[in-house]
Amino acid sequence: MSVLTLPAQPGQDTAPRPLPWRRMTWVTWRQHRALLISIPAVLAAAAVVLVIFGLKAHHDYAALVNCPLNQGQQSSACGKMFSNFNSNVWPLANALSILVQLAPVLIGAFAGAPLLARELENGTYRFAWTQGLVRERQAIAKLALLGVTLAVLAGAFGWLFSWFFQPFLWTEQINQLSEGMFDASGLVFPAFTLVAFMIGAFLGMLFRRVIPALAATLGAYLALRLGAWALHGQYPVTVVTSNAKLINAYETPGTPGFPWILNSWFTGPGGKPLSSAVTSRLQDLPLGGSLPPGVTEWFKYIPLSRYWPMQFMEAGWLLVLAVGIGAGTVWLVRHRAA
Amino acid sequence: MTVLTTRASRLDRDARGESRPVPWPGMLWVTWRQHRALLITVAVVCCAAVAGLLAAGLRIHHDYALVRACRPAGSPACQGLSNFFNTTDWHQGAIVHIAVQAAPVLVAMFAGPPVVARELETRTYRYAWTQGIGRVRWTAVKLALLGSLLTILAFAVSQLLTWFFAPFMTTQQLTDLTPTVFDTSGLSYPAWTLVAFCLGAFLGTLLRGTLAGMAATLGVYVGLAAATWFYLRDHYPAKTFWPMQLFEAGWLLALSAALIAGTLWLVRRYAD
Repeated sequence: MSVLTLPAQPGQDTAPRPLPWRRMTWVTWRQHRALLISIPAVLAAAAVVLVIFGLKAHHDYAALVNCPLNQGQQSSACGKMFSNFNSNVWPLANALSILVQLAPVLIGAFAGAPLLARELENGTYRFAWTQGLVRERQAIAKLALLGVTLAVLAGAFGWLFSWFFQPFLWTEQINQLSEGMFDASGLVFPAFTLVAFMIGAFLGMLFRRVIPALAATLGAYLALRLGAWALHGQYPVTVVTSNAKLINAYETPGTPGFPWILNSWFTGPGGKPLSSAVTSRLQDLPLGGSLPPGVTEWFKYIPLSRYWPMQFMEAGWLLVLAVGIGAGTVWLVRHRAA
Repeated sequence: MTVLTTRASRLDRDARGESRPVPWPGMLWVTWRQHRALLITVAVVCCAAVAGLLAAGLRIHHDYALVRACRPAGSPACQGLSNFFNTTDWHQGAIVHIAVQAAPVLVAMFAGPPVVARELETRTYRYAWTQGIGRVRWTAVKLALLGSLLTILAFAVSQLLTWFFAPFMTTQQLTDLTPTVFDTSGLSYPAWTLVAFCLGAFLGTLLRGTLAGMAATLGVYVGLAAATWFYLRDHYPAKTFWPMQLFEAGWLLALSAALIAGTLWLVRRYAD
């Protein structure tokens, strides 16, 4: 157990003293050094795997893009290269991407749940929370220091992952906007990590036990992710077009992938809706093929250029949520502790 | 803390007391008492999962029967049924499949490490291990009870999942050797559950902490599963479903036995 020994000055506590960040940094490091060593170590090991495997994937992909695959003269060497990429390289990349999806909740649960609950379980809170620093300010300092550290680590890792995943966007017909890629890159990945950490700390304070809080964090985060997925296509960045060229323009190798088509439908002459029988017959036509006269196909889609606006929106509400849960945790420390 | 008071006054007799029969009813009660939070949670989650699988499974089988019985096959109505089955129903099936795949390590992560590590953390081992039964048998009996319970539950869940998933085998062109299907069927699924539990118990004891044991269990399990998926299975001597299942269950069982032996060895040698 480590404590901060500011001299108590009775009677002078009317105005809150500024937080001694440097000393709080030391206390935070001392109490959570196992965590602060093991999380970067695990992320570094994972980063090495991503770099080694990513270099190979980028190399294979460069060779693939330079093959005349789409020109109708598919050489057998190209075909072999393509099927090797899809059946040997992609499954491993897919498994890695699923693990990366789990990183925020694992970091958040293992770092957040013990943060305050361990002091309650061990009884060390009696000592730690009666130091010169008022207990809720100590909690604020710890939440902020660890939260920012973890978010920065996650941000760097997400950036590496999005580089690693580039080659698979075109071959697997996914894009930067699809859930797996969008949530594990840019600002959204650290934002999810921060929210998971805050959920862990909050539930730890609520249950006052580490292991039940850890289990509940996994469940709560899963519910949050499902909710975020439902919201994903609802951000005000969608475009409606009848110009099929905008959709097809990406069907060449080496492009960053297809836009995200949310929905498509047909209208008859004068913009009237068509019967379902006609619609299902039209849906069997190839994309961009010639439609019967008077019939228009409409697409509701999100262009790839909307990646950053969407990132800011999603990271924004996640950040607000994280701050809210953090405030709830501090409230619990103030009113329910001891 | 809960203890068993059969001949509590005697000293630890690991070396000599092995011949006395294990007081199973007493140990059963102790295991329940020490792990009831886990056992109740597992029971509730299992019941919810079984109810969910049954409800969703009946609906999926119903939808699949409609798709197969639809005539004429190419008509818009039949296309609609088939589309619904391949999108909405398949989506649900895929999510259930992923959840079932993750269940062994999630359950074992919470079940395995505390068996020994919590006694060390809360210092209750000083009392528990000086009971008449001896520290090694105390640990062995608890591991055996919890391990066999989880294995049996996993077997039941995998049977139910195999029934649930059957319609998708044709529509999604899967075989029973597809890694995700192979993992969750037959003997393989309970064997993975058992190995995850034993891994948890071993790592919790080795690292002398529940939380550290949990994190390590997750990491090692993922590594082992990945190695099996991408490397080991290609080198099995068998290439058909049942021989491969037997082979996989066999080596996982051997690994579980080794991990339990390692745990007991650590318990026997433990000193402050």
